Amino acid sequence: MDIFIQQILNGLSIASVITLIAIGVTLIFGLTGIINFAHGEFLMIGGIVTWLAVSAGLGFPIAVVLAILAVGLMGYILERGLFRFTLERPTNGFIVSLGLIVVLQHVVVLFWNPNQKSIPRPLTTVWEVGGVRIASVRVMVILITIAVVALSFRMITASRYGRALRASVEDRDTAALMGIPVRRYITGVFVLGSALAGLGGALLIALFPITPFTGGTMVMKGFAVALIGGLGNIYGAVAAGLILGIVEGFSAGYGFSQWTDAYSFVLMILVLIVRPHGLFGGTSGPRMAS
Amino acid sequence: MKTGNALRSLLPVLVILALIAAVPLFSPSNRFLSLAISAGTNVIALYGLSVLFGQTGILSMGHAALVGVGAYAAAILARDFGVGFWTALPVAALASAVFAMIVGIPSLRVGGHHFVIMTFAFGQLLAIVLTNGGDYTGAATGLDIAGPVTLFGADMSDLTRYYLMVVAFVTAAAVASWAIIHSSYGRTLRAIRENEKLAASLGINVGRHKIGAFVVSGVFAGISGVLLAYFLGHISPSQFSSFPSIYLALMVMIGGARLIEGPLAGGILVAFLPEVLNLDPVQSRIVYGVCLIAVIMLLPDGLIGGIVRALRVAFSGKPKQEAERDAAPSEARQ
Repeated sequence: MDIFIQQILNGLSIASVITLIAIGVTLIFGLTGIINFAHGEFLMIGGIVTWLAVSAGLGFPIAVVLAILAVGLMGYILERGLFRFTLERPTNGFIVSLGLIVVLQHVVVLFWNPNQKSIPRPLTTVWEVGGVRIASVRVMVILITIAVVALSFRMITASRYGRALRASVEDRDTAALMGIPVRRYITGVFVLGSALAGLGGALLIALFPITPFTGGTMVMKGFAVALIGGLGNIYGAVAAGLILGIVEGFSAGYGFSQWTDAYSFVLMILVLIVRPHGLFGGTSGPRMAS
Repeated sequence: MKTGNALRSLLPVLVILALIAAVPLFSPSNRFLSLAISAGTNVIALYGLSVLFGQTGILSMGHAALVGVGAYAAAILARDFGVGFWTALPVAALASAVFAMIVGIPSLRVGGHHFVIMTFAFGQLLAIVLTNGGDYTGAATGLDIAGPVTLFGADMSDLTRYYLMVVAFVTAAAVASWAIIHSSYGRTLRAIRENEKLAASLGINVGRHKIGAFVVSGVFAGISGVLLAYFLGHISPSQFSSFPSIYLALMVMIGGARLIEGPLAGGILVAFLPEVLNLDPVQSRIVYGVCLIAVIMLLPDGLIGGIVRALRVAFSGKPKQEAERDAAPSEARQ
């Protein structure tokens, strides 16, 4: 039982990071139809920025804020400079993101070598509750994620900006006709998604060491979660993130750790075959004016 | 008239390949030959990818996995059954084709945007399975393959001879891909690429042809895998995971997927650019990435497509549409 709770906790803390990616992936896809594979690299860069800031002697909270700002800015620049021009042909956007993966990874390798990077744990306390050892840093990651996800939900469901955003996801052209500045929302979603990835990266490096190639596996899990939940469906992404995190936590705890990475892929393939629009239903991307 | 035109599109490739085959006359360095051989094995796989992406319009992010199936099939056949190169070739091609079908049937059913991600996931899964396969697949260290390759009694392991053999295979791949492009089958695939619904309404079984194209790309990949395995003498899972697949997609797009010269140009460029510019691997990857983005944003038909169009406009002032039609000559004349 002790191991059980501990594994759930471990699983949930990883699931938090994955969910943060998945929300960005799902929002960007829902609005633009662009499959942004480079999202994992955004996460990795968030981690690197955190590592640089902490190495420079800044505190972890400041480093997190810097990571969010830096990656958010990067998302803004890339959307304005590249993805803006691929809105009519989302496949090109996808290919551009492949190019970005290669560029971003190796730019990081070029400047800061390909080795593992880690920071001292921002919280070192380990609570012992009835024989269960709970690392406070994991609890912190989970709580921050819950707070951020709840905030995003609130923004998307309750504010008028959120309503406009959902309308744009539903039908871009009609939303534009209703006077919603869809282009600006697309930029906004890119920035928001990137900022979440930056946060995810900062949280990830608080848990594990990262390398410039961490993004590849993480983005696949983010995509798996986004697809399982149904692309464009934020609720689905959060629910699927929980499922995946718990499955991974269990498998790591009960002796199948070398297969951990395979679960997300198998789960995703199965879900797509049985329910192509995900477990919770999603959009199949924006309706093109083709 | 029609065949004459079609043949003319093959001619430049054959001339280039003949020139490439003549390179050993100038006693090139071993480094050059090794680079050329690995470029050649890539080009064979790229011709398969060009049938899939260029003609049918489906992008696979798991092409390296298909190459890997071929390579592992060759290695396992040689180890467990003492099977040599020439027997392994068709068996491995078949294995890759079957794997492509297994991946293709569920992946293409979900269709559209998801297909790319499905192939990527299958590619990653294969790498994980190979890594966890224990002694059978040699786990993370991979497998050795040490068999002499002989042709009519002559040992082909010598670098120059292997080079010539790879050039021959590249030529065969180019001709095969050309034959597909100019057959009615190729026309069917292009019809699917241009408008899936219209193709279906004309009685084309879209699903089956898409899977068929994926299987065809698997055959190319399997052969490329065997050549690669025998050339390197050692294979490991990381060579066939998703990132090599990304590089294959990148090569075919830099070269241009629709034209017969594209895969050849892409494979050679990506292999030799770092040598020419004297870049280390990290820098050259950055250059590839930037090239890919630039090509996609500025020259959607790939480098060769862009050059061809520029030449046409420069020499005859033909409009853009004409150049595109000539890229697939038989289409307009049917």
